[in-house]
Amino acid sequence: MSIGTYISAFMHAALLLWLIVGWGLQHDPLPFEVTEVSVVSGEEFEALVRATSPDAITDAPEMIADPVVEENSPAPPEQTEETVRIVEPEVAPTPTEETPPPQPLVPPDQEVDVSDTVPVLPDFQPPSAPDLPPSDTPTPREAPRVAPEPIAPPPEDTAIDDLVQESSEPSDVSEAEAEAEPVEATAPEAATTEIVTEAETPSGAPETTIRPRARPVRPSPQPQPTETVEEDAVSNAVADAVSDNAEDAPVIPSGPPMSGAEEDAFRRSIAQCWNVDVGAEWTRVTVTIGFSLTREGRVDGEIRLVNAQGGDQTQSNAAFQAARRAVLRCGASGYDLPADKYDRWREVEVTFDPSTMRLR
Amino acid sequence: MKRLLVVLIMICTAVPVMAQNGPLRLTITDGVIEPLPFALPSFQAESVASVEMAQNISRVIADDLTGTGLFRQIPSSAFISQQETFTQAIAFPDWRAINAQALVIGAVAVNGDQVVVKFRLYDVFLGQEMGSGMQLVSSVSGWRRLAHRVADQVYARITGESGYFDSRVVYVAESGPKDNRQKRLAIMDYDGANVQYLTGNVGLVLAPRFSPTGDRVLYTSFESGFPRINVLEVANVAPRQLATQAGEMAFSPRFSRDGRQVIYSLANGGNTDIWRTDLATGRHTRLTAAPSIETAPSFSPDGQSIVFESDRSGSPQLYIMSAEGGEARRISSGAGRYGTPVWSPRGDLIAFTKQNAGRFHIGVMRTDGSEERLLTASFLDEAPTWSPNGRVIMFFRETRGAQGVPALYSVDVSGRNLRQVPTPTAASDPSWGPLQN
Repeated sequence: MSIGTYISAFMHAALLLWLIVGWGLQHDPLPFEVTEVSVVSGEEFEALVRATSPDAITDAPEMIADPVVEENSPAPPEQTEETVRIVEPEVAPTPTEETPPPQPLVPPDQEVDVSDTVPVLPDFQPPSAPDLPPSDTPTPREAPRVAPEPIAPPPEDTAIDDLVQESSEPSDVSEAEAEAEPVEATAPEAATTEIVTEAETPSGAPETTIRPRARPVRPSPQPQPTETVEEDAVSNAVADAVSDNAEDAPVIPSGPPMSGAEEDAFRRSIAQCWNVDVGAEWTRVTVTIGFSLTREGRVDGEIRLVNAQGGDQTQSNAAFQAARRAVLRCGASGYDLPADKYDRWREVEVTFDPSTMRLR
Repeated sequence: MKRLLVVLIMICTAVPVMAQNGPLRLTITDGVIEPLPFALPSFQAESVASVEMAQNISRVIADDLTGTGLFRQIPSSAFISQQETFTQAIAFPDWRAINAQALVIGAVAVNGDQVVVKFRLYDVFLGQEMGSGMQLVSSVSGWRRLAHRVADQVYARITGESGYFDSRVVYVAESGPKDNRQKRLAIMDYDGANVQYLTGNVGLVLAPRFSPTGDRVLYTSFESGFPRINVLEVANVAPRQLATQAGEMAFSPRFSRDGRQVIYSLANGGNTDIWRTDLATGRHTRLTAAPSIETAPSFSPDGQSIVFESDRSGSPQLYIMSAEGGEARRISSGAGRYGTPVWSPRGDLIAFTKQNAGRFHIGVMRTDGSEERLLTASFLDEAPTWSPNGRVIMFFRETRGAQGVPALYSVDVSGRNLRQVPTPTAASDPSWGPLQN
């Protein structure tokens, strides 16, 4: 055997030994505890306590007191009119005419005479509540909320209080964000993607037509990699220059356009507040509304009706109100939009098309 | 080829940029379906005498709205600010904070035998009043109607459709065992309150039908031993037999929209056909002449067409013909037996009963038979009737077995919000009347 072989064998053996010993040591660290002890005199301790606690306590009331004052002050401004516009409708007096002789419409107490002529029931069986629903009534029930994306019923201990806006917001929040805020104890209200009628049971009613409303779940918005930082800087500078010069002039959008994902996220953030009464006649109407947004994403000024198609004036108005309510509700705390593209979303026109949701 | 591809890519990337000139344009097609939360602080009592009345009226209004399934009342325990007086400024931020989208405030005063209710409705997120304030007056005994009228106003202003709360339903009140069931006509508010009986136990009565104005009721009576059609004036509860074409049996009557004509089934010699009688002239017109059974006719709202049930194809199906009779076209096409069609007051849908695979359904379809949707399923569902605004269907459901009893139910035309209508006795064959004036 050559020297090289000896050296190689020795080195391998050393390596193996080191691995075994070293590995073993790493795996079994010796448990030990260290307690640091320092000596503080009574005077020093008192000085420390004096230095921290009193100030903290005196600060606290001021911090709490401020919001109370603020809440009182903004309350009155919305009051518009002092004059009470109470209209006495022509239809109103009719109830009063019910009791006097002419009673073609309502027989209130006078009509009790009728029952006098009628023999008393020999025996009647008031239908007890548990008896009436047949035993074979289907089990699947609809959720109180129907949304594009289903939401499982929340756990038992999760209180769904009256702040139902909690139920709408989290449906659009990515999972990562939801986990990052464990303080939120409220859970979103359960939702299904379809209206479940009693007839839609597993056992029967094969003729039932179910509206195909399933929509593929879109991935959470991702920033598009195509836009570079340099372009953003340039667009910001241009946008600033434009906004400085022309406040009211029609804005020609500049800078990077909204990406598809950003538009989709904006669209969904409005859609989750668009409450569609699927049985209502206004679902025949497609409305387009226009509005301005502040840099903070809040609605600036009035929301205007741009266009309404289908239906009459009353239905168009109801459709417009539902659309306006959606934009105002979900934008109450400002829409989350890319600040560097403000010129792109400063003016918005949203078309609300309920044709795929309506029942008739 | 490569060049063409490059040009195409350039065009595709350029289009969105060009499209973004002007405002940002979005299209939303998917919303949510959920009850609209509203706040209704108990109406303010303007005197000590009106405290209880104010509470009762507030409760009925809230029940009306939540009973539609379209609204959800926010409990008063969640309120941040209280509405002390009717004229007090509205603290919209406080109502927005609890997500109230609509706010109803009101006041009630009882003056002797009169009740005065005034109310206002607010769009909370817009921070504005919807419509204008309104004041309604009634006798004390009519306080429930006052509450229904307020609820109708709130419903109409938010949904853009007329309400249906200030309406009544005539139905057959049933009592006694199944083999000796006593039946008499009864009338009640749409929510089951104020039940009054229109007939005594004088024999079997079936299928009452309100006139378009709600002042008369048609029904089939077996008082003479054979089915005959009676008309009853609701105001004085005076029944009289309707002069129909002579025949063995006359049944299944229904008024035309103008209340001047009655259509019904007439059986003669084993054949049943549909006839029309003009109430003013007493003229009878035969509308069908097939050897099969034609029954359950119902006018369209414009009075131009009639939907009815016929077994001319071998099983009961739905057909539509002109109001003058003639050729009929079949509209039902699914498996099963169809019956008791009723044309919606809106004119766009037809409600029906369907029996298939051992179950009964209440369903709706368009007038051409398309988009059939079944709303219910049970051992026995029958006799659909539309709310005056064409939004809700009431029907009766009977439970299985010898102890089975019928009860009234209502369901939204979307298939949601199925609920029982409380009645003091067993109840069947409802007919929903118009909004009262």
